Amino acid sequence: MAYRVEYFAGLINTLILIFVNIAIWKAIYGEDGSFDGIQLQMVLTYIILGFLMQSIFGMDEYFISNKINNGLISSDLLKPISFRLLVFSYNFGLAVFRIIMNLIPAVILSVIFFKLLPPFSLTMGICFLISLGLGYLVLYCLNFIVWLSAFWFYGTFSLVTIKDAIVVIMSGALIPLWFMPQWLYDFIKLTPFDSIYYIPISIYLGQIPSNEIIYSIVKQVFWIFLLIGIGHVIWKFATKKLVVQGG
Amino acid sequence: MPIIEVNNLVKDYKLNVRKNGLIGSLQSLIIPEYKIKRAVDNINFSIDKGDMVGFIGPNGAGKSTTVKMLTGILTPTSGKINVLGLSPSKDRKKLASKIGAVFGQRTQLWWDLPVSDTFDLLKYIYRIPDKVFKENMDMFNEILGLNEFFSQPVRQLSLGQRMRADIAASLIHNPEIILFDEPTIGLDVIAKEKIREFIKQVNKEKNTTMLFTTHDMMDIEKTCKRMIIIDHGIIIYDGTVDQIKKRYGTTRTLAAEFGQGSDPVTLPEGVEMVEEKDNKKYFQFNKDKTQASSLIAYLTSKYNILDLTVQEPEIEAIIREIYEGGINYDKSVSGNSKEGLSEQLGISC
Repeated sequence: MAYRVEYFAGLINTLILIFVNIAIWKAIYGEDGSFDGIQLQMVLTYIILGFLMQSIFGMDEYFISNKINNGLISSDLLKPISFRLLVFSYNFGLAVFRIIMNLIPAVILSVIFFKLLPPFSLTMGICFLISLGLGYLVLYCLNFIVWLSAFWFYGTFSLVTIKDAIVVIMSGALIPLWFMPQWLYDFIKLTPFDSIYYIPISIYLGQIPSNEIIYSIVKQVFWIFLLIGIGHVIWKFATKKLVVQGG
Repeated sequence: MPIIEVNNLVKDYKLNVRKNGLIGSLQSLIIPEYKIKRAVDNINFSIDKGDMVGFIGPNGAGKSTTVKMLTGILTPTSGKINVLGLSPSKDRKKLASKIGAVFGQRTQLWWDLPVSDTFDLLKYIYRIPDKVFKENMDMFNEILGLNEFFSQPVRQLSLGQRMRADIAASLIHNPEIILFDEPTIGLDVIAKEKIREFIKQVNKEKNTTMLFTTHDMMDIEKTCKRMIIIDHGIIIYDGTVDQIKKRYGTTRTLAAEFGQGSDPVTLPEGVEMVEEKDNKKYFQFNKDKTQASSLIAYLTSKYNILDLTVQEPEIEAIIREIYEGGINYDKSVSGNSKEGLSEQLGISC
């Protein structure tokens, strides 16, 4: 019962957020429907996609820190399983659940109510799905590094909040990156953030020429490997550092 | 060939020193101060296959820390551990499939899952063959009575039920070594007894090596032959349970019930009266200096005595005295030398 309420609340939450943001963008655009040469409908599609992706990219930010704070991490470490894969599987399971239960109804409703545009072309659609998966992994690897801070700080709320704020702004989840000032845009291009939302959505919209898509996807893969590497090193330090709370 | 070997093991914790008051907390925020606390200080021991060893000590002595280092959860600050030929902190995953552990203070079961699902999951995680799984489950059901609550979620179990399930879960994959960290904490007498019996049976049937930390001396007396006592991170005794009784349990108490209207008692040298209740009197003496039989003969010949009992000190009383520093353990008995140890245990290395 409690879970059912939560489920519907989550779905409604996504739809309300999309609705509010559409209203804001419509207000910015005014009547003529074009701004900087970018079609309103495209921006709206960008925004809708951004929120739909956010609804499935949500992860359990406190999975590791809870386990450390209540000492249950020792039970996981006693089993012949990789703790890192356990954390990933848990979050991936969440994502799969959200895709089936949240995303599909939300997409259908978005197409009906918000006139979500289809992908630019079938190829772009497929590339989008690949890029979407990679975007998830980039975000996951980044999150994992932040979560590991729990081994040192115990409370990770503030770090997670800062990370969330940076991701939302820099990844283009809320505002398409093409509206950013040029210097900021150039800077973000050097970070892993645009790999999370901006690249997949741009591919969907056909904003990235087909001969440059491969370059974008390689960039995402590069960030995944780099972040996994950093996460691995920090993990090695973390396990040495572990203190099991509560006896 | 020992299957657990610990050499010069040290574990330090870094503690944040908090000052009191508002100014104090601001100060620790800006300039944190740390203190190194040595939880385990240079300990050595080894355990052979099939042994049941009690690992005891007061709270904060470093028992749990040692056990956690043996499983690979914690990394030692220095020193060497060898468990089944593996280094726990480096080969944690490999080792995990060969050992089991029970932490009495927290469950390893999945909180929201029914007990039956937990075991199915464990079967999958440890890759237990169907036959072994069924055999073990039958055995656990028989002795621990898991059927009673098999379909209930773990969070609804009573402490005793949870502990039984936890112990079964730690043994389901036939581990070669099992580490118990206070497995009987908070349990009633019957539940404790059940668990002890089960542990003994497993040790006998499967020759599982067991290391036990506990505060309940009965656990040790009923299950273990050998005992390691640790305090302030240092091993202060390593030997048999009988040995410690023989060495330190030299005082005997004689309780005598006197007949009505007896005279005041005069006692031989070395015997003193410690308590007097109605016509019951308690005498204490050292068994090496005074023979119980001669004392009894002396008393019965002079006084009208209705009843006599001689009491040995309980192991608990001895341990209490050791903790409090009342007994000076001599190094020849405890000590870290392996020769002395195997002598006491009557085994050859």
